[in-house]
Amino acid sequence: MTLLRVENLVKSFPTGYRSPPVTVVKGVSFTLDRGEILGLVGESGSGKSTTARCVARLLPADSGRVVLDGRDVLGASGRELRSLRRDMQMVFQDPYSSLNPRMPVGEAVSEPLLVHGLVTGRAALRRRALELLRMVGLEEEHLDRYPRSFSGGQRQRIAIARAIALEPKLLICDEPVSSLDVSVQAQVLNLFHDLRERLGLTILFIAHDLAVVRHLCDRVAVMRGGEIVEIADSDTLYDNPTHEYTRSLLAAVPIPDPRRERARRGVGTG
Amino acid sequence: MAAPPVPPVPLVSRRRRLRVGDWLERAAVVVAALVILVAVVGPFVAPHDPYRVALDQSLQPPSAEHWFGTDADGRDVFSRVLAGARVTLLATFVVIAVATVIGVVLGTAAALGGRIVDEILMRICDIGLSFPAMILALGLAAAMGPSLESAVIALALTWWPGYARLVRTLVRETLHAEYVDAARSIGMSRWRLITRHVLPNSLDTLYVQITLDVAAVILVISGLSFVGVGAQPPSAEWGALVAAGRNNVVNGWWVVALPGAAIALTAIAFNLVGDRLRVRNDPTLGNGGKA
Amino acid sequence: MTELLTVRDLRVDFDTPSGPVRVIDGLDLTVAPGERVALVGESGSGKSVTAQAILGLLPTARVTGSVRLDGQELVGASRRILRQVRGNRIGLVFQDPLSSLNPVMTIGRQVMEPLLIRGVRRAEARRRAIDLLARLGVRDAARRFDDYPHQFSGGMRQRVVIAIAVIAEPDLLIADEPTTALDVRIQAQVLSLLDEIAAERRMAVLLITHDLGIVAGFAQRVVVMYAGREVEQGPVDEIFGRARHPYTRGLLAAVPRIDERHQGRLPTIGGQVPTPAQRPDGCAFHPRCSSTVDACRSEVPLLLPRAAAHRVACHVATRHAEQVTEV
Repeated sequence: MTLLRVENLVKSFPTGYRSPPVTVVKGVSFTLDRGEILGLVGESGSGKSTTARCVARLLPADSGRVVLDGRDVLGASGRELRSLRRDMQMVFQDPYSSLNPRMPVGEAVSEPLLVHGLVTGRAALRRRALELLRMVGLEEEHLDRYPRSFSGGQRQRIAIARAIALEPKLLICDEPVSSLDVSVQAQVLNLFHDLRERLGLTILFIAHDLAVVRHLCDRVAVMRGGEIVEIADSDTLYDNPTHEYTRSLLAAVPIPDPRRERARRGVGTG
Repeated sequence: MAAPPVPPVPLVSRRRRLRVGDWLERAAVVVAALVILVAVVGPFVAPHDPYRVALDQSLQPPSAEHWFGTDADGRDVFSRVLAGARVTLLATFVVIAVATVIGVVLGTAAALGGRIVDEILMRICDIGLSFPAMILALGLAAAMGPSLESAVIALALTWWPGYARLVRTLVRETLHAEYVDAARSIGMSRWRLITRHVLPNSLDTLYVQITLDVAAVILVISGLSFVGVGAQPPSAEWGALVAAGRNNVVNGWWVVALPGAAIALTAIAFNLVGDRLRVRNDPTLGNGGKA
Repeated sequence: MTELLTVRDLRVDFDTPSGPVRVIDGLDLTVAPGERVALVGESGSGKSVTAQAILGLLPTARVTGSVRLDGQELVGASRRILRQVRGNRIGLVFQDPLSSLNPVMTIGRQVMEPLLIRGVRRAEARRRAIDLLARLGVRDAARRFDDYPHQFSGGMRQRVVIAIAVIAEPDLLIADEPTTALDVRIQAQVLSLLDEIAAERRMAVLLITHDLGIVAGFAQRVVVMYAGREVEQGPVDEIFGRARHPYTRGLLAAVPRIDERHQGRLPTIGGQVPTPAQRPDGCAFHPRCSSTVDACRSEVPLLLPRAAAHRVACHVATRHAEQVTEV
């Protein structure tokens, strides 16, 4: 059953006084089923992050339609928009800048509940914050610390805890693991995997790392120059890509296996 | 990932210089704190009544009885400096407080409002900034009639455009931070977004600027009093003290020099404290752990 | 085989406000002429600092041990000697092509510079620079010679950086995360260019990276670093096929692969990468390791040979090996 429907999304940015605006997203359409993880991949400048931000209403789209659970996202305002925001949350790329440096993490994690009046009272908020932190693998001792005393991986867990606090239906993740070390990246990918199992989350996962996307996503959309050039379920797309661009992307991804790399490139090393 | 995992390391020589600087900064903090203390309790601990005229004691040099000597009217200069700390600092505080409130409100409005609001506010700032503060304050104070109150009002009105400019830039910068987007995506009110997430992260630099400005405002307030458009006799305001003593500078240097030294010392102390705050505030020198 | 670069017991200490921090702790490394060695590690492993230490680019750090290039000692060498070595004998490519180019100097001028410094005549330098840029896939190299860096795309800029690094025909190229800032297709092009140019000029390459995929396709030998120490090194097939160190194995298992159809949980290494200031006692990896013995907590394991050219620093792996040989 469809949770999110994006139709003909268009977004352009002004470039200056006299020059024409640049269209970054040129009519993107896709749907996302409940409980599904859709990967949105592409190179820098492909428009994948802008698409995500338009869907999340962090940027105003020029035209198109975004429907979340039967409700219009782009036209919503006031009370309607607030309730939509409750149902879709975002996780950003850089955990160093996506947390307010002046807010203890316990407060940051429970802030959404306070804002929406779902939990009231300091004690109750703290309790819920602790539950959320535990869900992402952190402990009580972390509640009153500030973001700067955490590593990148821990911060990303905190950002995720904050994003799931409202039990959103849709989680939009913009390159959530690309700034993390390999060993920590695997931990965070597993966290997404577990959260999907436990909370039935639907995830729009934006990334440039095609291996990460194959690992996590059920379906994948490949973007180039503001358009989706190919969209299919993971195995189909990776095993039998139909678009020339998808093929060239896949061929460029290095495989951590020397024999396969040599076979693929048809050369020996030295 | 290419960046070295530890912060850049100062050279040995620079470290030694830093230690001397550290000592100086600590002294500055102590002096600044002392001046504030004196402003609060000064009149109560003053050895003599700062306003009592005793013409028979006129122009006594510094002694055990009168540490800073006496002025032409025989008033104890030390007591007058202690009493004047309150007048000068209070005036300075009011100027900075008023300028800060106006600056933060209008600066934030310019950063968040549309282009028209921004343009109007910034052009007003441009006009304000294109006048030297001292001259404008001089004119305004003269027009309103010379008194400490009019000097304070005049100065506050000329001081805020700088803060508004700064706040506008700082807020605009903070608006680009991802945690502001993250906060927006929760669906919080605009008021909470600004007061909890944007302003607290924007104003660090402003606080530093304010501390540095304390010295400048003290100098201008004293200057205005000195030229006669600020505090009027018999007020013990520091600038007024210096002004009152200038006729007798030949046979009573202490009446001018010692209040002057108080002004200089206070200005230097606040400047150093501001410098220290600026270094502390440097994100590249951040320390881990709790705030 | 005589080695081109020999690093012995390299230690690098930084002074910080909270005391000295050892960022590199006893690194041994060799690179033979024409060899491709990959230095692999996560953030804080010290891989980038190693490159800077080799080139004497850490004026504020205390560097001890020995770095020899063709027998010439570089640790403590005079500035004149270091200047001669950099560029002349060792070329450098950094991660960010934009910040390693001078924005107000033309591309051509920057590529020619290493030659001009060495007294090559201007016309000759220009000809060679244009040839090299063309060889590196910069189209219309002659026409774009007088362009500025901002007129080039990221991938093109990195080609220019490579041109600057190799134009003086160094014996060794040190490339520190040369493709991390690039898109995957550009990365593939730049890597294959590096590959070709190194082969043509019989130039040794020390590739510093966190990306195991790149290592597999490029290197002959791999050195794995963790928290400022070397934990394992060996031929690329050994490391990828028969890794001994639990960290190396964990790292290899934690990388999602594009050629594998598996969903579900990835095997992970628990915990966080330590910073050099808080390196655990004994084996730095022991708090994250799943198979530890008492020695792991107290003694730093030595780097011991496992098989031909395969060395590993792990108490458990070594013990296991001893038992096998006893039987």
